Amino acid sequence: MAEATNKAPVSTEQKEKSNWQRFLESDFIYSFKGSPIAMVSFAVVCILVLSAVFAPLIAPTNPFNPASLNLMNGFTPPMEPNAFTGESFLLGTDDQGRDVFSTILYGMRISLFVGAAAVLFAMVLGITLGLLSGYLGGWTETIIMRVADVQLTFPSILVAMLIFGIAKGVTPVEYRDQMAIWVLILAIGLSDWVQFARVVRGATLVEKSKDYVAAARLIGRKPWAIMLRHILPNVMGPVLVIATISLALAIIAEATLSFLGVGAPPTQPSLGTLIRIGQGFLFSGEWWILFFPACTLLALALSVNLLGDWLRDALNPRLR
Amino acid sequence: MRPILPLFLAGAVVAGAATAEEFRWAGQTDPQTMDPHAVSSAPVLGFLNNIYDGLVRMSKDMTLEPSLAESWDPIGEGEGWRFILRQGVTFHDGATFDADDVLFAYERASDESSDVRSWFSPVKEFRVVDDYTVEIYTNAPNPLFPASIANWMMMDRGWAEANNAERPDKENGNYATLNANGTGAFMIEDRQPGLTTTLVPNPDWWDEAEHNITRATFTPIQNPATAVAALLSGDVDFVEPVPIQDAARLESTDGVEVIRGVETRSIMLGFSHEADTLKYGASAGAPNPFQDVRVREAVAKAINVDAILQTIWRGNAQPASQLVPPQLSGYSAANDARPAYDPDGARALLAEAGYGEGFGFGLMCPNDRYPNDEAVCQAIVAMLAQIGIDAELNAMPVSNYWPELRADNFDMYLIGWSPGGSLDHEHPLRFLASTPNEEKRLGSWNFGGYSNARLDELLPSILSEIDLAKRQALLDEVTSIYQSEVAYVPLYVQPLTWGVRDNIELTQRPDNFFILRWVTVN
Amino acid sequence: MLAFIIRRVGQSILVLLIVGLVAFSMFRFVGDPIDNMLGQERTMEDVERLRAQLGLDQPFPVQYYRFLEGAMQGNLGVSYRQGREVSEIILERAPATLELAAVSGILAIVFGIALGVFTAIRRNGVAAHVIMATSLIGVSLPTFLIGILLIYLFSVELGWLPSFGRGEVTRIGETWTTGFLTESGLKALILPSITLGLYQMTLIMRLVRSEMLEVLRQDYIRFARARGLKDRVVNFRHALKNTMVPVVTVIGLQLGAIIAFAIITETVFQWPGVGLLFINAIQFVDIPVMAAYLMLISVMFVGINLIVDILYVFIDPRLRIERTGGH
Repeated sequence: MAEATNKAPVSTEQKEKSNWQRFLESDFIYSFKGSPIAMVSFAVVCILVLSAVFAPLIAPTNPFNPASLNLMNGFTPPMEPNAFTGESFLLGTDDQGRDVFSTILYGMRISLFVGAAAVLFAMVLGITLGLLSGYLGGWTETIIMRVADVQLTFPSILVAMLIFGIAKGVTPVEYRDQMAIWVLILAIGLSDWVQFARVVRGATLVEKSKDYVAAARLIGRKPWAIMLRHILPNVMGPVLVIATISLALAIIAEATLSFLGVGAPPTQPSLGTLIRIGQGFLFSGEWWILFFPACTLLALALSVNLLGDWLRDALNPRLR
Repeated sequence: MRPILPLFLAGAVVAGAATAEEFRWAGQTDPQTMDPHAVSSAPVLGFLNNIYDGLVRMSKDMTLEPSLAESWDPIGEGEGWRFILRQGVTFHDGATFDADDVLFAYERASDESSDVRSWFSPVKEFRVVDDYTVEIYTNAPNPLFPASIANWMMMDRGWAEANNAERPDKENGNYATLNANGTGAFMIEDRQPGLTTTLVPNPDWWDEAEHNITRATFTPIQNPATAVAALLSGDVDFVEPVPIQDAARLESTDGVEVIRGVETRSIMLGFSHEADTLKYGASAGAPNPFQDVRVREAVAKAINVDAILQTIWRGNAQPASQLVPPQLSGYSAANDARPAYDPDGARALLAEAGYGEGFGFGLMCPNDRYPNDEAVCQAIVAMLAQIGIDAELNAMPVSNYWPELRADNFDMYLIGWSPGGSLDHEHPLRFLASTPNEEKRLGSWNFGGYSNARLDELLPSILSEIDLAKRQALLDEVTSIYQSEVAYVPLYVQPLTWGVRDNIELTQRPDNFFILRWVTVN
Repeated sequence: MLAFIIRRVGQSILVLLIVGLVAFSMFRFVGDPIDNMLGQERTMEDVERLRAQLGLDQPFPVQYYRFLEGAMQGNLGVSYRQGREVSEIILERAPATLELAAVSGILAIVFGIALGVFTAIRRNGVAAHVIMATSLIGVSLPTFLIGILLIYLFSVELGWLPSFGRGEVTRIGETWTTGFLTESGLKALILPSITLGLYQMTLIMRLVRSEMLEVLRQDYIRFARARGLKDRVVNFRHALKNTMVPVVTVIGLQLGAIIAFAIITETVFQWPGVGLLFINAIQFVDIPVMAAYLMLISVMFVGINLIVDILYVFIDPRLRIERTGGH
């Protein structure tokens, strides 16, 4: 069980170097440099995240400002002048005359924010509850895992609709519009925590019965210290697998919710809302309304997934 | 995806159509019941028109023609109507149709449990004269009565009684919910609610069959993209409705045709006339600007309907100036003009009304009720933003939408109206323009609480006036009242787009009813 | 062991009751069924009367109690939309969903485990890298879009497969209908089951691979190899078997996810199963159908959970003492 505590002893020589240097010389970076897929994915994620963050600077128009839209620009093909207004757009316009390129940049901001916040929320909640139930057992476990059952019983779509409905009931009407994004985060996060909790609990049950935990307990370590210091690092492998997929999945879940009509509002569309709108034009020949947002979503989700794949292998010393 | 086109065409040709005379069609909604008196909705009444007959029926061009009544005449000076029934008609189960079945259908359809009983609210008395004559007396002269009962379908008393279906049952359903026994051109062979319904021709139908169908299968397909795919791949022969954006593509595809028409439904914006304050958006809580007619007029001028029709509707819809489209009776030709697009004029009106700085409010919009409803609302938000008023768009499914409107949770809203029943201008006047009055069954869809005393005063005369010229004069006056007060902003008349395989001939009726007996499979 | 099962069944019933309560508290937010049941000629009076007849004017705990009362007697109520017994409707629709879920699940498990083992054993091979990368494309797009794209390609353009529905079905016994026995039924299954199973397959594959890699590094596998055991025996008898704890957990969880995702797949393909029924029920606020559907999948889920927990105990003997010993 020597591998179980996986912290490599830090030599004195390494301690003298700066943290940054150590980082650059680490196996982690070595592995990164050795993986072209990881480097490309990382570059794609960086470009997409940066262009989302700086969307107001990059985008030629602000699609969230209704006063700037001209309906007559609607359905302009990419790089072709509009028949009525003569204006031309890099990736064309959608049914409302919005510049598709700008809409993608602004939409990606929303998708990324919703995805990241939802996963973070789900992860913290899931790990905490998973550790607690796996380690403490008894009624804590029973209650948490039964709640998880209840939760799992409800399709995530329904959880989202439930939260939407309740949020609509409890918030003053004038705040509903700004609320949609937070409700999405809550909805996707809440529908996702169970996965973390189940896997963490399962792994905790296994780890708990191992000698080192018993030893830690014998020398009088407090339960939370044991959980955080000893058990948590050992369950991080599967958690990372799930978190990786979850980030991409959360972005896609947002799109699915949009398809069912519970997503970001059409006046401030996310990538998912754009795809939902665009799929209505799949047969009609305005392929660009669907194609570019779908490609962006694919690029984003795919590179996050690929990066996650590599990250998992790289972070796991047992696989090297 | 351009290069794919040739392949696309080839695929469509190879797929081919169904074996002759077998007809498969898809619509968006399944008729929820087979009971012709339980639910008064277009999908139900439209479907059941193939199975049940009424005393009268609408022809291909929406004129009234005889059905189970061979003729009808007014009694005296408009006291009521006398119907002479057709003899030798049998129900699908073989029972004979006579005046007693009409009486039964009247009792059933005017019962409290019926959803169509409002058709009979003008009725004072129902009299059976002999086996093939019935008289229906009305409270006031009612020239439109025969037209208003075109969807009142005849049911056999014996069949209903034998199966414990004497009254419609919305809550629990009964035998008539799942089974049908009409006198119509088609009979139900198999019914799987929500999935498929199979019809076969009635060999003993009283009228001469125009169609050549031997079996027809209906499947509801909710997702429009799936429905279009099914038509393109030849899995169905007919789809209604086709999303407007796909019409051009379908037309350019071999083997598929698009049939276009104008529906009877007008789409319009409604205002909160009664509320003292705004409920949504940046100015929530502030005094309600829509109580000022200048603000309502500014909204009307700010909306570029031509642009909406040009882009979102791709030139397939016609602008609306009134609560009904020009094709319907009672339309006021004298008030044909709708407010011109004039953003500067709109800004000037706002300034005059004291809203030069603009304001924020909420626009309620359904997102699954009318075709393109959400896209139209979005476009309206952008157009209103250009005159400086910021609409916060609240788009929601229709099952949430009506409850919100009923609870007065709106500042402005989108609504569509199709004058079911009478297909006349009086219909929306009763439901949308009249001051809400529960007792008189008036204004039940007038959510904004628009109210005009002169209009309310003229309405009863419109309903009972027999002289068509006098009636039209009254309608002209009422129209100019609600137009000048901008009670609503009529936007456009919804188009009707059907997609068919080109071996199919059919007739599109403007009320969007699909009549199976006018289908020919080649 | 028996005590453990009895206790878990007790808890499961409690879970079902809570699910029901949550569901009923939610229904009033979904919308109002009345507008779908009355035509445009209705008056406010009609609306109020029908609400009272349906018991919708009652607070939700009362509505819930009434539902439970009926459910105890095997009566799930009558659909507002279809006007017939909900239990009858669900029985009619269940075979479609179960067949679709079974085919998708088997595809996902078989291909997921096979590809997972392959990519773990050949972890540095070109084929493994290609499989890993391409499998991700399938999970990097929303299910509904994959479904629509498949229809576009295989039905509309190539004309190979039907675009919607279940094809021709054969009736077996009183209630079961199957699409397995006709050509059109089998063809109709292809696109929906790929759409539905793709995500689960990728997830299982990635998990099996990562667990396999971990196990293959461990000492006892090295010893086994050192002892001269054949690769095949090492890989499958020893390594694969020891990856099964998390894999079984995830498969158990994913069985449920398949049912949940079936909602979307069924909507896109107009597949006549309970998922489509449920989406329609939401659309029309058909409360009895929504309630029954949720209760049904709760029962299924709780069942799956129970089985996974019991399998846990069998697969990992260390847990046996723990779980059966009680707390």
